[in-house]
Amino acid sequence: MKKFLFLILTAVFILGACGGFQIGDSESSNSSEEDNASGDTEGSDAEGSNGEKVTLDFWSFWGSEQRRPVIDKIIEDFNSSQDEIEVQHTYVPWGDIWTKNLAAIAAGDPPDVIINDINTVKLRAQEGQMEPITEFVDSDVESRFYDQMTEATMYEDEMYALPFNTDTQILFYNKDLFEEAGLDPEDPPSTWAEAEEYAAQLDVEEGGSYERIGFYPLIGSGTDVWMMNALGENYISPDGDVKIDTEPVHDTFNWILEQKNKYGENTITSINSQFENAQQDPFMAGNIGMMVQNANYYVQLRDFGQDMDFGVAPLPEKEEGNGHTSWGGGFVAEIPKGAKDPEASYKFIEFLTNHDSQLYWAENNFDLVAHEEAGSSAAESDEFSEAGQEVYSLMVENMDNTLLTPQPLVAPDFASTVNPTFESIISGNTTVEAGLEKAQSDLERIVENNR
Amino acid sequence: MNKKKENLYGYIFILPWIIGFLGLTLGPLLFSLVGSFTNYNVTSRMDFVGFANYKEMFMYDDLFWTSLYNTLYFVAFSVPLTTIAAILISTLMNQDIPGMRVFRTIYYLPAILSGVGVYLLWMQLLDPSTGLINQFLAIFGIDGPNWLFDSEWAKPSLIMMKLWSAGGSMLLYLAAMQGVSKTLYEAAIMDGATRVQMFFRITLPMVTPIIFFDIVTSTIGSFQIFQEAYVMSADNAGAPENSLLFYNLYMWIKAFNVFDMGYAMAMSWILFIIVLILTIINFKFARRWVHYEGD
Repeated sequence: MKKFLFLILTAVFILGACGGFQIGDSESSNSSEEDNASGDTEGSDAEGSNGEKVTLDFWSFWGSEQRRPVIDKIIEDFNSSQDEIEVQHTYVPWGDIWTKNLAAIAAGDPPDVIINDINTVKLRAQEGQMEPITEFVDSDVESRFYDQMTEATMYEDEMYALPFNTDTQILFYNKDLFEEAGLDPEDPPSTWAEAEEYAAQLDVEEGGSYERIGFYPLIGSGTDVWMMNALGENYISPDGDVKIDTEPVHDTFNWILEQKNKYGENTITSINSQFENAQQDPFMAGNIGMMVQNANYYVQLRDFGQDMDFGVAPLPEKEEGNGHTSWGGGFVAEIPKGAKDPEASYKFIEFLTNHDSQLYWAENNFDLVAHEEAGSSAAESDEFSEAGQEVYSLMVENMDNTLLTPQPLVAPDFASTVNPTFESIISGNTTVEAGLEKAQSDLERIVENNR
Repeated sequence: MNKKKENLYGYIFILPWIIGFLGLTLGPLLFSLVGSFTNYNVTSRMDFVGFANYKEMFMYDDLFWTSLYNTLYFVAFSVPLTTIAAILISTLMNQDIPGMRVFRTIYYLPAILSGVGVYLLWMQLLDPSTGLINQFLAIFGIDGPNWLFDSEWAKPSLIMMKLWSAGGSMLLYLAAMQGVSKTLYEAAIMDGATRVQMFFRITLPMVTPIIFFDIVTSTIGSFQIFQEAYVMSADNAGAPENSLLFYNLYMWIKAFNVFDMGYAMAMSWILFIIVLILTIINFKFARRWVHYEGD
């Protein structure tokens, strides 16, 4: 009896184990077959004119209460606009989507369209992770977008993606505090020197510690943005020209450190960590007079700012005439390598980035879209309040000043190499001279190696 | 039942594991060994490059050394501290006083809470200005450090956080302590031994197999620290000043951010060798201090 039980148990275990693998295996192979031949297998119940309907799997990380309905509505519009392609939306969380995509491409069963980061398009194109779309794109489509966005999707004269949305950094300032300090609330600072001057008037110091700080460049923004602001370009060019150990960058760090020394380490850390932990927003609480932030920050002000009176402006420039250079990122819609029907996929991403879809996205998410004209229409949209229109208009205008920073292919991990050195300069563990020299040579070595 | 048959049943019982190991672990393991000698990028490239990855790692890549240093630092402090903490807590939890079950539950709770939720909780606790820890320190007039925002305090912060979950191994120690024969203590009391003497001469030697097990597993576990740094460093890449750039985090960045999978595979083999050597050393030394009953 005991023996019998033994055998049964063992058998169950083995079956369980094998079964587990088999189910997993057959499922994945089935689905890829289905994908590859979806035209045939699903043709029977499709309503298409020629009896065939392609089903596209679209991956995005837009799962939030706010974004999901908007993208789903755009997909619905696309599906009902024609009868050959049916797009299905798969939400994949932000932390997983790109690693999953990579694994899916390697396994030969990728999604048909995916939303991905704009600044790494060239790298993915180089690594063979995407299908080029040049053959499908006509000049009408190509000219829809801001030039720097289109440029970011090009690799070796081929276009690899269509830009979807972007963002830009702008200056936010508290008008009530301006008035209180005797400053003109309609006249935000336009140079670094002015920003410093205004800040001194906005500061509230009590017993050696600051109750309110007028302006500190690294609140809401980073050293890289200010370096670009001073240089008018990224500190590493697309082909690996490094401009870190230069006068404008030296000036940038000295300028930031000057103000850091004024406010003191503790004040700054305390304010930055409040942002980080999202317990309380120091700008809304009136503890900060001005700060540079991603323009999308407006949505938080709108929803939680309790009607605070704020203004927006481009970033102050280093000196008059140097340029109000700002920085932005963004996302593209692209076709992963090995997608079953790139032409059908392209039709969908073309629809995603057309005027109406982009305007709908802009109006409902208050997000700066890649479609230049749709952006301009959104800036006048009745969906926004007066303040909303003002911010959106500035976002659109600020694209003239906004740099994207496509990862240079000769140093894809440039940031992780130099950022710690920049941090170390700001925290006072390294001098500006030694730090910038080190960052410059570290980066040059990587560029040299990768060439 | 003869010996042969018994062995056969044994193998049949572990068959599911063997199948899993051969199919799901050994294959990828060998693949990564091969891949570590290539410039594999997952999608389009896999050319043999000899020892180039290993050469780059040891001779040029400062970040590799930074990440190795950070990880060793973490292991060197976190393993002994959590082991000592777990033994101390389990000694306390082994006392016979009313309400002990409640305390045991409370101390064990952190072990079942895990992952990102806990890290977010600790980020709030460690907040330099509004966090409870610095507010508590302020009561005594201590101006608390900036914890996760200070490159000198970031690693100690994580080690402290790890201490909190000592309750998991506490359970093992507690079980071992409860298994220590009462007769040993009775004999010791008759000989006039103090409680401290009994702890060091009876309790501790009797639980050394568990201490050994705990040290081996937690060393391996600590080398694999990733999530904490990924979630808790401000830029998800080891900030401030790379003080939280642990080995696995750097490996992940190499593999999935810049698609240098071959390099990441080489890194994983170096980590494997380091952990293997440490574990062998652990086993060698174990003979000197681990006491197995019946030996």
